[in-house]
Amino acid sequence: MEQRLSNTWKMTNNEKKFIEISLLSDLRVDGRTSFQYRGLNIKFGREDGSSEVQLGKTLVMGSVTSQLVQPYRDRPNEGTLSIYTEFSPMADPSFEAGRPGEFAVELGRIIDRGLRESRAVDTESLCVLAAKLVWAIRIDLHILDNGGNLVDAANIAALAALMTFRRPECTLGGEDGQELIVHPPEVKEPLPLIIHHLPIAVTFGIFGDGNVMVIDPSHDEEVVMGGRITATLNANGDICSIQKVGEGVMQSSIMQCLRIAKGKADDITTKIRSAVEAHCTERAARKIKRHPSSSVAVSISRPDTVMMDKPTQKGGGFSVDKSEESCSHASNGIGSETLKRGDSVKASVGAPSNWDPYSKGVDANSLKTSLAVSGRSTPSKEHKESIVDEVMDEEPISNVGSADSKPNEAVQSPQLQQQSSEVKTLKDAVKPKNKRKKKTPS
Amino acid sequence: MVDEKKHSDSQSTMLDKIVVPGDVVLDLSKLSNQTIKLGDGLRQDCDSITVMKSGKLRFSKPNKYWVESSQKRYVPCVDDTVLGIVLDSKADNFLVDIKGPAVAFLPVLAFEGGTRRNIPKFEPGSLIYVRVVKANMGMNPELSCTDVNGKAAEFGALKDGYMFETSTGLSRILLSTPTCPVLEALGKKLSFEIAVGLNGRVWVNAEAPSTVILVANAIMKSEPLTSVQQRIMVESLLQRVQ
Repeated sequence: MEQRLSNTWKMTNNEKKFIEISLLSDLRVDGRTSFQYRGLNIKFGREDGSSEVQLGKTLVMGSVTSQLVQPYRDRPNEGTLSIYTEFSPMADPSFEAGRPGEFAVELGRIIDRGLRESRAVDTESLCVLAAKLVWAIRIDLHILDNGGNLVDAANIAALAALMTFRRPECTLGGEDGQELIVHPPEVKEPLPLIIHHLPIAVTFGIFGDGNVMVIDPSHDEEVVMGGRITATLNANGDICSIQKVGEGVMQSSIMQCLRIAKGKADDITTKIRSAVEAHCTERAARKIKRHPSSSVAVSISRPDTVMMDKPTQKGGGFSVDKSEESCSHASNGIGSETLKRGDSVKASVGAPSNWDPYSKGVDANSLKTSLAVSGRSTPSKEHKESIVDEVMDEEPISNVGSADSKPNEAVQSPQLQQQSSEVKTLKDAVKPKNKRKKKTPS
Repeated sequence: MVDEKKHSDSQSTMLDKIVVPGDVVLDLSKLSNQTIKLGDGLRQDCDSITVMKSGKLRFSKPNKYWVESSQKRYVPCVDDTVLGIVLDSKADNFLVDIKGPAVAFLPVLAFEGGTRRNIPKFEPGSLIYVRVVKANMGMNPELSCTDVNGKAAEFGALKDGYMFETSTGLSRILLSTPTCPVLEALGKKLSFEIAVGLNGRVWVNAEAPSTVILVANAIMKSEPLTSVQQRIMVESLLQRVQ
C-alpha cells in the first residue's frame, strides 16, 4: 500500500494554490499567455506512416499500418480505420500497464470521432474487392511522455502519420482475373491515403468556476483545472466534434473558444502540411541520391582494402611500405592506385632516419585502450613487444612500414607525407598486428 | 550502501571524468593497505572497482568514491536535505514522498522540542523541507525536521510559493558554492526566497507571482546552458518583463 502511494502522481497544496492565484491575474506558470500554444515539433520516422510529435514536454509517437481484411457486411465497399492508444507507464507513473485506462479510452474516442466521423480519410478508396477485401488502416498512438494536453498532441501525431502513410498498390490478375497481387514497394510505388481535410483538436482548460480559460493546459494545470473542452475543427472552420468534461461554462465563452480554436487550427494545419511536405521531398531525394552516394563510398573504401590486402599477400617490408604510401595518398585524395605504387620509394627514404622507436608502443596504447586502468597492464607488455620487434627486424624499412609510427613521421617530415586523418591512423594501428604475426615466424 | 575494502592511497586516474557502466576505475591489488568506501554507482568485482551507472566519478577525502549523475529519480542518502510532500499522517509517522523508490517516514517526534503533546499538523499535500537521517537498503528512509543538534534550523513546512521539479544534477548545481550564475544574476535584480532539495525539487517564493514564474522558468531553462549563456538568458527574461 505504501509502495503504491509513491506511484501516484501528487501535487503540493502550494502549487495548486499558486497556479490558481496566478491564473486569476492572467499568468501561467510556464510563462505563457492564456491563449498561447506550446512549441510544436513534428518529426517523421524512416518508415512510411510513422510520426513523432513533441508539444512542449509532451511526446507522442504515431504509427499507421495497413492490412487486407474482409469488410463489414453493412459497408461492403469501405475500408476501415481504427485507433489504438497505448499509455506507457514510462510516460507517467499514474498510467498502468496493460488494460487501457479511462483516459486512454476517452483520448482514443476523441481522436476517432474527429477523424472517422468527419470522414477525413476516404475509406471508399481503400476497397480492393467489394465485400471481399478492403484495407484496414490501424493507427497506433504511443504516449511517450506526459507533459499535459495529450489529446492535441496525439491528434497531430495521428494526422502526421496518416499523411505520410503509403499503402502497397495491389491489382487483380492471375488466370481467372480474381487473384490478388500485392505489389512490393520496389516494383510499384506505394499509394498515399486520400485525406479530405485535417481535423485539428484544440483543448482548453477551464478554471475557477468557468471564468478562466486557457489553451493547451500543461500537466500541472491539468491537475488543478476544473474542466476541459476539446474542439476538433479543420482549416475551413468546420467543427467536427466537441468534447467537454467537468465544470459548466457560459455559452459565450464556448463561442470564444471556438473562435480561438479556429485560428489555432489554421496554424497547426500549416505546420503539419509544411512538415509533411519537407518529409516527402526528403523521401523523394533519398531515392534519387542512392546511386551517387554509394559510388562515393566505394571510392573512399578502396585504398583501405588495398592496404589490408597487400601485406598479407607478400608479407615483406617493402610491400607494406607501398600500401602505406597508397594509404597516405588516399587521405590526400590524389591519383589512382598505380600512381601510388610508383611514388612509394620517396616516402621510405626520408622516414627511417626520423623514426622514434618509443612512439610505437605509446601510439598503439593510446589508440587501443581508452580506459586508464585496463590499459595500464598492457602498456608495459606492448612496449616490450615493440622493442623486441625492433631488435628482430634488421631492415629499418620494415619498421617504417609499421604504421604505428606514422603520425610521428608525418609531423616530422611534412614535405613527404601530409598528415593523414584520424581514421587512417586507427586503421594503421591495426595493421602492424597482422604484419607482426607474419613476421615473427619467418 | 557503503562497501568497505582494503586499499591504498593512490587515487583513480578517472576522477572528475565522465565514466560509463563497465569502466574499471580502481584496481585494488595495486593499492596498499587502506579502506575505501564505495558510494552510489560503483561496485566491487574481485580486485577491480567497476562503474554501474554513467556520470562523473567523484572522490572525497579521505577515501570515499561515488558516481554523480543527473537524473529525475532520487536515491535517498543520509544527511541530504530534501523537499518532501506529505502524503498521509499516521500515529507515529508522517508518510512523505521524497521522489525516492519508497515512501519516507517522518517520525512525529522528530521536531525541535517534539513531544507527544505537541504534534505538528500537516495536511496531505503540504510541502516540507526535511533532512534524511536514515537511508538503508530495503527500509523506508527516515526523515527529520531538526538539524544534527536537534534544532529546528530552517526545516519545516514551506508556505505558499511554487514548487517545481528539476533533475538532481541541477539541484546540486544550484546548491554549489560559489553561487551558480543563474541565481546570482536573478538575485541582483529580484528579491525572492528559494529552497532547493537534493531530490530535484525547488521551491520559490516572492511577493509577486510574476517574479516566482520568472525565477522558476529561468532556473528550469538554465540546466543545459553555460554560465555566460545563463546570464544572457536571465537578462533577456528580465527585459521582457519590465
